[in-house]
Amino acid sequence: MKTSSIPEHPAPLSGEQAEAMRQRHLKKHHIAIIMLHWFNALVWIWELTTGIALISTERLRVVPMAFIQTLTELAGSRANLMRLHLGIGFTWIVVFLIYGLFGWRTYLSQEVLKREIALDADDITWLRIRVLGILGRSKESLPPQGVYNAGQKLFALMVYAALPVIMATGLIMAFHLFGTAVVGWAALIHFCAVGAVFSGLIIHVYMGAVFPEEKPAFFSMFSGVVNEGFAYSHHFKWWREMKLKEQTWEAAHDQAAQAPTEAETPSKH
Amino acid sequence: MTRYAMVTDLRKCVGCQACTAACNAEWDVPAGYARTRIQHTPVQGTFPDLAAGILVAQCAQCDEAPCLPACPSGATHRDANGAILVDRDVCIGCGFCVAACPYDARYIHPVFKKADKCDFCAPRVARGQEPACVATCPTHAKVFGNLEDRESPIFRLVYDQGAQRRETPAIQVGPNVYYQGRPQQVALVMNAFPPRAPRMPAAGTLWEKVARPVVLGAVGLTFAGQAIAFFHQLWHGEEDYED
Repeated sequence: MKTSSIPEHPAPLSGEQAEAMRQRHLKKHHIAIIMLHWFNALVWIWELTTGIALISTERLRVVPMAFIQTLTELAGSRANLMRLHLGIGFTWIVVFLIYGLFGWRTYLSQEVLKREIALDADDITWLRIRVLGILGRSKESLPPQGVYNAGQKLFALMVYAALPVIMATGLIMAFHLFGTAVVGWAALIHFCAVGAVFSGLIIHVYMGAVFPEEKPAFFSMFSGVVNEGFAYSHHFKWWREMKLKEQTWEAAHDQAAQAPTEAETPSKH
Repeated sequence: MTRYAMVTDLRKCVGCQACTAACNAEWDVPAGYARTRIQHTPVQGTFPDLAAGILVAQCAQCDEAPCLPACPSGATHRDANGAILVDRDVCIGCGFCVAACPYDARYIHPVFKKADKCDFCAPRVARGQEPACVATCPTHAKVFGNLEDRESPIFRLVYDQGAQRRETPAIQVGPNVYYQGRPQQVALVMNAFPPRAPRMPAAGTLWEKVARPVVLGAVGLTFAGQAIAFFHQLWHGEEDYED
């Protein structure tokens, strides 16, 4: 095992090393997740647009009346607007249920959630330095991060909490479950949960599509891979984990190649 | 222009419930609920000087209807004839309008789970018929018509003969259901059944006063933050992120 060649802490790289890393890729997203991500993005654009147009009273609306009227006219009637909102909403719920069912162990088990989106001590430091850095009050270097950085983890935690709430409150309103008073609260909670996610979504879209440092992450949502250089500098703990895994696999492979008879002959014991 | 209104003559109403029966039959109003209802005042005075009044209550399609702005989705809306309708395909049954109505004229339909109320029999009127309660009333106590039409009987009842709206100094929402009768009789009914203040359930109040400004503020702040970061990025140029 050549563990010694994998650094335990991020160290400055030579130009050659960096260039070599830039040429190699690590797989970050499965094709199923890429598809779910863009499906989810389209649904959010659709549901947000129709959703804010459905709140029309002056006491509660969040967009100008002209927008609401335009959307209503485009849909043909407010009933159609409601049908479009509900139809796509149901589709969204069904797709997520199917993904949840088949991807439970891969994406939603306690172990995965703990590894990928639970905040650890490094993340707290990262958040502190990042926020102070943006305010120009800190020049410390950021601690190494896992497959997702602390900002992404915070957004993920909020989304993971909000999605079931948005779905449940949507179903409560659509089918008038648990009585009139509950439907009123469901409408309020639906609005708040979407509002919270949307605030984060603005940052998510900016960081993903506009912020220069995160461009490899944006392209990974199409290709599924990030270059090692990006993984090394932005997600060191994940990079190290992947390299260790690679090395273990290679070692096992080398061993098997060196002793094919031993490995291939079934044990007699 | 059309602005439909209704006048009930308290001198003619005998409280026979024909109007409520006709209404229930016309609109399949479920048992225990009502689009229109008859209410009796307590008997006043001592024998033989007794007095009692009968109120015929229904949605008054108010000019300043509190149910309209209470409805989040716009399911409650006013049609071209001034009647307030509920679009069942848009209503989510949150009950905000039920709490808002000063006349308690609304209820959540137990079958459809949507808000329901009198709409002056809009579909019948569109066919050229009178509302079911008006057509049925055996004593012709109810008059229905267009207040914009100066020749109509209802115009004379309201503007010449002083039919009254059921309002108090505090609650004036412009109801289009009027009452006429002997002054003391009208006063008895008006005092016994005053409109109440419009209410908003706690969820709606929290939504209006807290959730809406907080969400707008949060979205606005994050958007402004990203906009500043974006212009900063444009101004300073993109650094080579991979080095």
